[in-house]
Amino acid sequence: MAEILQYVHKDAFLHRLHPFTKIAFILVVSVMCLISTNLAFLVLMVLAMMVFAAYGELLTESLQQLKLIIIMSIIFILITVITMPNGDILGYLVPQGIPWIGGLVPITTGGLMIGFVLTLRFIVLIFAFQLFLISTQPRDLVHTLDRAGLPIDYTLMFIIALRFIPTLQIEGQRIHEAQLARGFNPGEGFIGKIRSVAPIVIPLVSNALLRSNVIGLTIDMRGYRTGKKTHVRERTFARRDYAVMAVLVVALCGFVPLMLAQVI
Amino acid sequence: MIELKDVSYTYPSTVQPALHRISLSLTKGRCIMVTGPSGAGKTSLCLAASGVLHHDYGGKKEGSVIVDGKNVADYRSLSDLARNVGVVFDDPEAQMIFTTVEEEILSALEHRGLTPEVIEDRLARIMRTTYLEELKDRSPHHLSGGQKQRVALAATLALGNDILILDEPTSELDEHATKRIAEILKNLKQSGKTILLIEHKFENFREIVDTLIIMENGAITAQGIPDEVLKDIHVRGMVLPDFSNVQKHPMAGAGNEPVIQVENLTHCYGDVQALSGINLTIRKGEFVAIVGENGSGKTTLVKHFNRLLSPTSGDVIVNGKNTKDHSIAALAHDAGLVFQNPDHMFFADTVREEVAYGVKNLAIADADTVIDATLADAGLTDSATLYPRWLSRGERQRLGIACVVAMQPNVIVLDEPTTGLDGYEALLVINILKKLQEKGHTIVIITHNRDIAEHCADRIITMESGHIISDSGGA
Repeated sequence: MAEILQYVHKDAFLHRLHPFTKIAFILVVSVMCLISTNLAFLVLMVLAMMVFAAYGELLTESLQQLKLIIIMSIIFILITVITMPNGDILGYLVPQGIPWIGGLVPITTGGLMIGFVLTLRFIVLIFAFQLFLISTQPRDLVHTLDRAGLPIDYTLMFIIALRFIPTLQIEGQRIHEAQLARGFNPGEGFIGKIRSVAPIVIPLVSNALLRSNVIGLTIDMRGYRTGKKTHVRERTFARRDYAVMAVLVVALCGFVPLMLAQVI
Repeated sequence: MIELKDVSYTYPSTVQPALHRISLSLTKGRCIMVTGPSGAGKTSLCLAASGVLHHDYGGKKEGSVIVDGKNVADYRSLSDLARNVGVVFDDPEAQMIFTTVEEEILSALEHRGLTPEVIEDRLARIMRTTYLEELKDRSPHHLSGGQKQRVALAATLALGNDILILDEPTSELDEHATKRIAEILKNLKQSGKTILLIEHKFENFREIVDTLIIMENGAITAQGIPDEVLKDIHVRGMVLPDFSNVQKHPMAGAGNEPVIQVENLTHCYGDVQALSGINLTIRKGEFVAIVGENGSGKTTLVKHFNRLLSPTSGDVIVNGKNTKDHSIAALAHDAGLVFQNPDHMFFADTVREEVAYGVKNLAIADADTVIDATLADAGLTDSATLYPRWLSRGERQRLGIACVVAMQPNVIVLDEPTTGLDGYEALLVINILKKLQEKGHTIVIITHNRDIAEHCADRIITMESGHIISDSGGA
């Protein structure tokens, strides 16, 4: 099973970067892709993300979400084509030959354009966050955010939320199997579907609550929240961090005038 | 090191005390093992001794708990207490918060106010004592339950305290993993650690246990040197259950028609071959035990019986139906599966509704009579109106079995039905299964417990890395 958003242990370029550099990277990338409406620029950003991933030896891992990306892209484009018709008509979602409903839902250049922009932004963001999460060991994140003065509780909340995604997936699957063996019926119709969720969701949530109690006790007893800290093997700002920071600054410096001139 | 004087405790929102006038004294370098039926208050005792009840739970407390010469009430917080007491819980998954083994232990070491040199030194030592050196970069999702439990133990040792409390650390583990834990505890005890151990598997820990405590209904009913305590017949039956009186029917299946035929079954998860070329025939009325280490393919095999898994190649024929041609729901009439953890199935508000769920799904005639009879057989008639999750582990296990039995499948398959149970509870489960066998059901159990396999099953199938390596029935 592909493990969603889990840290991958490696010793490659992105792993060696300081978490702070990577946070700056995400911020810059997010701002740029959210401001830009230029297709060519956004495509360039996607390519840049892939180059980053490949350089960090994480390309395979980051492409694991490809299926999700493709499905979401199609949904985005469909929604914008249907809801934001604008500009020239290229064709119709329902072919004109069909009687009565033929010619409904025009596909317009404007709708497609917005759809593509949204999709590309989405891809860039997913890539950037994913690269950050799978290349940053939670312990390093704890160090960095601790130094930045963020209360440890928030950091722990964040890393625990991520850490237990696969655990819940596996647990959900086990529960599903146990209920299937009892003749679990996935239900028909909208109400039926919702009702049929109970035998899966109730055990999942009850067990998770029980588990969260043990997690809480474990955290307290190991003194993660109150113990006196010594940071060992802490990542230090190295030359590569300065290099990446410099690249980010240059990118921003190039981006701002182009943005003001409304080129991108 | 730990002293409990007349401790009674009642959880908030309950009336019945969970602990009743408990007194015990654990001195430095000694090991106390506490055992007893599920729901007897063992976990509460563990929480009381570690000060968790006092600092985290509320509820009604009486008596005093002294840890390292100081009343738990006088410690500032749990973290403060944790400098003296380390606790390992029974759920290995919940105790691993970080993403690699080394990171987990290192993180625990980083919150002790130690110097970096001491941390590195202690890390290396702990990795060695818990045999985790080779697994240091593994993520929690690539560790077995036993390995995870060793990580939890290691992270607890990282705290550097002299008192260790372990709440059923081996309940989810197989024989091999249990032995590993026992070996580690033995070394820890030799190095001077004080250990309070909640366990069912006395045999594995016999060597290190100085005092054996039996708990029942929230109170201590026996306490002393193990050999003395075990002279009592009642205690013996609980701690060292004797299954040799269980009636066997060696010829039970002879001449009967086959209910399960597995032909050349191979199953692959991705690139990993979990089963290779399995051939097996189980006849009506047999009581079969499947044994083998974790990962040998036992669970993968039985999941084919009701098509939770489909063969990569080969055929599985249950009750004359090739599973390929039938849905899981249709096969539920033929083969019922009870999984290891009963908590994976409970969602109803009462025990009765829980049992009724499967019965309704299969539209079984005369549902009420069937449900009542099943509850009676499982010894749960009195609990019918209770909330399933309030039951003790032993009762939940029987409820899990009842849920499947009520659906009246011909073949009943149980994955580790005696996990976390004391001798009497295990025997109760076995007797329920024996009764089902007499009624004509075919029983297949997966078990780590050699005793149960040898004394209760008519036939033992041993699996190893996806193959059947021995089969006492050999049909």
